[in-house]
Amino acid sequence: MVDESRIAEPHIHYGNPKGSTRHFIIQRLTGALNILFLIFFVWLVVRLAGSGRTEMVGVVGNPIIAIIIALLIANVATHMRIGMREVIEDYVQDPRLHSLCLSLNTFFALAVTVLAWIALAKIVFWG
Amino acid sequence: MTTSRPRPLSPHLQIYRFTITMAMSIVHRGTGMALYLGTLLLVIWLGAAALGDGPLDIVNLVFGSWFGQIVLFLATWALFHHMLGGVRHFIWDSIHGLEPGQREALAWANLIGSIVLTLVVWAVFVWFRG
Repeated sequence: MVDESRIAEPHIHYGNPKGSTRHFIIQRLTGALNILFLIFFVWLVVRLAGSGRTEMVGVVGNPIIAIIIALLIANVATHMRIGMREVIEDYVQDPRLHSLCLSLNTFFALAVTVLAWIALAKIVFWG
Repeated sequence: MTTSRPRPLSPHLQIYRFTITMAMSIVHRGTGMALYLGTLLLVIWLGAAALGDGPLDIVNLVFGSWFGQIVLFLATWALFHHMLGGVRHFIWDSIHGLEPGQREALAWANLIGSIVLTLVVWAVFVWFRG
């Protein structure tokens, strides 16, 4: 039997309308940019797969390439954070677990970005 | 934002008959979640290169092993599938390809395109690299 309390009621507002619209737009913007980044990324991996440090530092140490990788990471992290948020909203019902998952999601996206940026800075400035 | 009232639920997988559009929708979400974790592969690679010769040699050994190569091959496919799935969403956003038949064609194109792109990239850059 259908649980009446779980049927949407038009006069009740679910979620955050402004945030959701922003996510909708940012998800498409970052997604479109990711198509360009993917082409660059395939080139980068093909160029450097299996390479030693000298080779890696030679390519990634180039400031322009390092900046592109840094932007790629930030763009991907933004995109994947919104995507995972959507999954959490769909499947994690318990309110406390829900907010815990959202926090962990933000933490993971930030951690990936910051760690990659630190690694890039190390390679660019100190070889 | 969490609300005090439980959010409305919709029927889940077991209710629906299998369709290719449904399968590609699920795979789009699945590849998205896999790529979420897959970003760690890039971070580990860059991090190892930053740390020194020893760590980078270990990462190259793991990524170059049969297990690493299978993971990277699947990651390539996930990346291409998710990218083409995104393009499909852009097509839908512009109110195209929503009619019966068109939807299915797009879903098949998504699947076949991702497999072809993956095989082409691996064949050109890995298997038959001159």
